[in-house]
Amino acid sequence: MIAEAGHYALVLALGLALIQSTVPILGARWSDHALMNVARSTALAQLLFVGCSFTALTMLHVVSDFSVVNVFENSHSMKPLLYKITGVWGNHEGSMLLWVLILALFGGLVAAFGNNLPLSLRAHVLAVQGWIAAAFYLFILVTSNPFLRIATPPIEGRDLNPVLQDIGLAVHPPMLYLGYVGFSISFSFAVAALIEGRIDAAWARWVRPWTLMAWIFLTLGIAMGSYWAYYELGWGGWWFWDPVENASLMPWLAGTALLHSAVVMEKRNALKVWTILLSILTFSLSLLGTFLVRSGVLTSVHAFATDPARGVFILLILCLFIGGSLSLYAWRASTLKQGGLFAPISREGALVLNNLFLTTACATVFIGTLYPLGLEVLTGDKISVGAPFFNLTFGPLFVPLLLAVPFGPLLAWKRGDLFGAAQRLMAAGVTALVAVAVLWAWIHGGATLAPLAIGLAVFVIAGALTDLAERAGLFRVALASAIARARGFPRATWGTAFAHAGVGIALIGIVCETTWNSEYIGMMKPSDVANVAGYQLKLDDIAQRQGPNFREMIAQFTVSRDGETIQVMTPSKRNFTTRSSSTTEAALLTRGASQLYISLGDTNADGAIAVRIYHKPLVLLIWWGPVLMAFGGLLSLSDRRLRVGAPKPAKAARALQPAE
Amino acid sequence: MTRRQRRLTMIGGSLLVLAIAAALVLNAMRDSIVFFSTPTMAAEKQIPPGKRFRLGGLVQPGSLMRGDNLAVNFSIADGSATLPVAYKGILPDLFREGQGVVAEGALDASGVFKADTVLAKHDETYMPKDVADALKKQGHWKDDYAKQGVAPSPVQGTLK
Amino acid sequence: MTLWFMFALMTVAAIFAVLWPLSRGSSAPAGGDEAAVYKDQLAEVERDAAAGLIGVAEAEAARVEIGRRLLATADGQRDRPSRANLGLRRASAIVALVGLPIAAVTFYLSLGSPRLGDFPLASRTRTADVNQPIENMVAQVEAHLEKNPADGRGWTVLAPVLARLGRYDDAVRAYRNVITYAGDSAERRSDLGEVLAGAAGGVVTAEAKAEFERAVAQNAEEPKANYFLGLAAEQDGRQADAAAIWRGMLAKAPADAPWRPLLQAALARVDETAAPAVSGDAMAAARDTNEDDRSAMIRAMVDRLATRLKQNGNDVEGWLRLVRAYMVMGERDKAVSALAEARQAVAGDAEHLRQLNEGLKKLGLDG
Repeated sequence: MIAEAGHYALVLALGLALIQSTVPILGARWSDHALMNVARSTALAQLLFVGCSFTALTMLHVVSDFSVVNVFENSHSMKPLLYKITGVWGNHEGSMLLWVLILALFGGLVAAFGNNLPLSLRAHVLAVQGWIAAAFYLFILVTSNPFLRIATPPIEGRDLNPVLQDIGLAVHPPMLYLGYVGFSISFSFAVAALIEGRIDAAWARWVRPWTLMAWIFLTLGIAMGSYWAYYELGWGGWWFWDPVENASLMPWLAGTALLHSAVVMEKRNALKVWTILLSILTFSLSLLGTFLVRSGVLTSVHAFATDPARGVFILLILCLFIGGSLSLYAWRASTLKQGGLFAPISREGALVLNNLFLTTACATVFIGTLYPLGLEVLTGDKISVGAPFFNLTFGPLFVPLLLAVPFGPLLAWKRGDLFGAAQRLMAAGVTALVAVAVLWAWIHGGATLAPLAIGLAVFVIAGALTDLAERAGLFRVALASAIARARGFPRATWGTAFAHAGVGIALIGIVCETTWNSEYIGMMKPSDVANVAGYQLKLDDIAQRQGPNFREMIAQFTVSRDGETIQVMTPSKRNFTTRSSSTTEAALLTRGASQLYISLGDTNADGAIAVRIYHKPLVLLIWWGPVLMAFGGLLSLSDRRLRVGAPKPAKAARALQPAE
Repeated sequence: MTRRQRRLTMIGGSLLVLAIAAALVLNAMRDSIVFFSTPTMAAEKQIPPGKRFRLGGLVQPGSLMRGDNLAVNFSIADGSATLPVAYKGILPDLFREGQGVVAEGALDASGVFKADTVLAKHDETYMPKDVADALKKQGHWKDDYAKQGVAPSPVQGTLK
Repeated sequence: MTLWFMFALMTVAAIFAVLWPLSRGSSAPAGGDEAAVYKDQLAEVERDAAAGLIGVAEAEAARVEIGRRLLATADGQRDRPSRANLGLRRASAIVALVGLPIAAVTFYLSLGSPRLGDFPLASRTRTADVNQPIENMVAQVEAHLEKNPADGRGWTVLAPVLARLGRYDDAVRAYRNVITYAGDSAERRSDLGEVLAGAAGGVVTAEAKAEFERAVAQNAEEPKANYFLGLAAEQDGRQADAAAIWRGMLAKAPADAPWRPLLQAALARVDETAAPAVSGDAMAAARDTNEDDRSAMIRAMVDRLATRLKQNGNDVEGWLRLVRAYMVMGERDKAVSALAEARQAVAGDAEHLRQLNEGLKKLGLDG
């Protein structure tokens, strides 16, 4: 009964989505408020029914009802409870159900908290959400139904894949989905604006919290996925430029651009047409990301062949939404009124520059990810586009972007004073140069680029602090009043500073890890000692241990530095009996932001074991950066007050700062 | 500046950035793209020593030899040709004789493929897709490789 | 019936979600508009100007700009006053009342299986299943013996059942108790030996061999013990001894002994290759099956041995036997990987490692 109730709830949600996608638009057309309000109650009811459906599937997994194909194929009665629950979205059907649940959640949130929206805008937004939802419900029910049954249920489920029983793998997909699906709201707002044919500064204000929320989740999701790969795959890499990662990076880049262009629109009523386009592109890339990864088409064009119905359906949805919204854009964008003017050198100009670089970087990732696919379809040649391609294209594009970051917040709206901003950034620039010089002296040449890159990162961080100090009037007014002014900052100001500093911090981590990463790879026997980056690692012992469903070889290392014992590290290698597969469990030792990393390889005839030891200086900064960025986003999101862009005449700028 | 001039400045700037990006992409495409081939294709195309490519096929059973200090030698075969491979480092967990593998590197002067990355399949049923396609084309495909469920991405083992 | 009641309830809720706003008509709450946003922005400018965050002139410019936007909104009021469109409302209501349930039920019926009840694992283990009663019974007997461990008859009943269920380790304990409490005999000793071999995945270990020897000491004619002693000889590579033992048994065996064909099969085997060990019962089952099934059975035994070794790898003999079995089955790569695992398993013990390496040299597998 649970399975059938869940199934029926999903069908009802489809029915409601269809009503939600038509009735409110008709209502808006004839300006009947009652009809427009149907959107709201149906969106909430949809959330209720999809919630029921998802809960039902979760319950089926928990009680191990193997009469449900999805449970039989992806669960096992012996799985620990936690992994029975996370296993719900560890497979295609369940993950699609999670996808629509999140979609319905965002729709429900707009319905519940969108009281400040004009009725017709809300009706249109929810109707567009209804289209997306209906397409996905249909996709799930027809091609990936998680509630299909087996008449004579098997006694035991098929899957007990221990490799997938990992908490990182369990939490990371929902985070990414919250990000991907969150961008559907900005997409719906954009399409609604196109349908209504009007868009203005208020639109950007209404859309901002949703974009910001999606962006925060996506940022955290990507960072979490990267850390998971780092500790689980056993060789210390944290970003591989593989298609799956690129698929999540592309919406992030476009979404970051969208956040910035929406600020211009909110403050200055400019860049309207561009912002709409970005909203559409960001969600399109999210769709592409979800689907290309889910359908397996990125690892193999032939994945479509394994389930043609699913593949064709996916293509249809992609064409319908991406193609449809872009055609609508081409048709209606010219009717939107142009907005405020600004000089190339101004806050707006800086944000345009930001958008330019971010979208170009996004385009290079897009080309690098999809070019091999296209080439294979066209010519049959197989190529792989790896890290070198992305380092050569993505890297150079990010340098000017980061150089410009500190200038942005210091420029005035409408007409900025580049010279003045440069003067105020003097301190930050000097700090960065000092950092470069010190590093240079310290490492005696060596890698030339690394100190420069760190200098750039320092410049970004110092620039963020400069912005705060300038606003508070630090060093110009008395300390107490500067603090008082800082208290009065809108939270969004703090958010911007944190997010920008986060970029710099992540950059420092990336540069340090890639440049000064030291490693030891070799065979070790008990009581051998390896020296890595000033640490002595002594292999004390190799022992065997019996786990619940695996056998484990644990090596014990004593780590010491200058004769002083620091800690014991125990990397291991697990052999899983049931699947005759093995996994490598790396051991990590955190020292400040740096880490020692040990993973094990094979044993040879004389009982020696292959060992990889890495010392990764400041590696944790790579993930602290994004966390700081997400925190900045959160601060900004909590800012209930509405910010305005005060156009600042050139004279007034001087009048404001008598001290200069 | 008039509105028109401002616009032109912006459009000009954007085009400049796009042009730079296009140049970067084309340049990177020329240098850092790696083609895939099997031992047979490598022999036919006469790939010059030093040119990087990905070599895929089955690890020839009985060819795996471990030398000192993590040096490994093995051969990759595709049914009609074999190519010796030298690698130094830890092989991925799933590396087995008789199973599919993809190695990335270049030929040296003596015709040995010096690999710096070795990718092995991800689980018991998954065959690297490039290898599977190539084998299918050459008619050495065995049906039992095809019993793959979801194909997860390969795990990498590399020596930087 | 409850299922359809639930469906009805859900359908009513869905219909209600559509009808409710329609029924509220013009009394529905109006939404917000742009003017509110711009008024907020104006207030923000005032706040910032008062706090000194922006200058007087720029605040004035911002006010002018926002004021212009505010005026523009007054021109094009977004939400026109509601005009009830009764036709459309009625149509929507009919769609919700009639269309929604019909469409939902039709669509559901084409996909769902409403007649199928729940099968949670917990309730299925309680209800009848072909295998279930035996295991329940075993559990009851085990519980009884827990309280009365000296009940020799109880152990006598339980031991063969445990062996048949494949719970060899428990069966070993049970047979030991049978011998302790119900008296020693040649049959019981050889049964104990058999389950010991079973626990070792079909390998006649030294411990099992000792039991068979004790059985033969009590009754030199005990067929099972003799058969297994032959098997032990075969597994040790003494084919001739094995053949001699089995030939002797065949010579003395009555013509209608049920194990005659088994012995003949075993004899035929020793002359060819040394296949992995197969326990008596299993071999008897294999007697009539064809070659494919037999190799499948052998494979299952090898797999069991592999599994056992993975769980408890500190058994050099077992590893060598596994590697040999793989070699015999022509699966060299599996042999090599088993070898690697073996090294890993005994890496902690220098003596075992030496034994392993020596044994491997004999097998011609050296890596």
